[in-house]
Amino acid sequence: MWQQRLKDVLSVALFAFFGGICRYLLGAWMDSTGTIIVNIVGSFVLAFITYYATEVQDFSEWITVGVGTGFIGAFTTFSTFSMDFWKLYHQSVNYAVLYLGISMIGAFLAVIAGMMCGIAVANRGGKR
Amino acid sequence: MAMLLVGIGAGIGASLRYLITNFYKRKVGGVFPGATLFLNLSGAFMLGYLTSLALADPRLPLLLGTGLLGGYTTFSTYNTELLVLVRDRRWKLFLIYFITTYGGGLALAYIGLMLGR
Repeated sequence: MWQQRLKDVLSVALFAFFGGICRYLLGAWMDSTGTIIVNIVGSFVLAFITYYATEVQDFSEWITVGVGTGFIGAFTTFSTFSMDFWKLYHQSVNYAVLYLGISMIGAFLAVIAGMMCGIAVANRGGKR
Repeated sequence: MAMLLVGIGAGIGASLRYLITNFYKRKVGGVFPGATLFLNLSGAFMLGYLTSLALADPRLPLLLGTGLLGGYTTFSTYNTELLVLVRDRRWKLFLIYFITTYGGGLALAYIGLMLGR
């Protein structure tokens, strides 16, 4: 039991190492636009993986936890999102509101699309 | 060097998130995603506070801010959980989760920013 837990934690940490670096590179390159892209793309991928794995069910726990919770979880961020809002707010209230709206609506539409694609890909060709 | 600091921080932050989420599921459980709410609100506050400190060593914001708190909080899990609440038609919980995360997160980030000044 604890060996499994330890394996999962190490997997989360290792995958998160790379997820965090990818987010940092996009943020360094495109600033708050990078955060928007990271959060929307990550939301799509997490929903895709979650529903794909639920349908197919032949993945080891440490892989889904590593990629989903580790890589994608660390790739997306709520703390930087909140800080970006206030940073933009001090420049222009309109930009801040636009940033908030795109992040909120974009990420939610992304998880819907991710779920639908995940289920569709898992069930292609009548395979179940 | 910057990449390494961010990566190590993110590894630690995400592990903490994983452990806290598991702990919450075991001890509290239920359908409301309280663990992610706690992580995102506390993470937003701490990043606000950290930012306002204006630390002299530029490595610390990379390790603790972009890395640790970036990996500790999450946007993807939050949205996936919102979708589950919609799918299960738990409208009231959806609304509560939506408002507390966005409203609370932005407010706490602001309070954190002000406290460090």
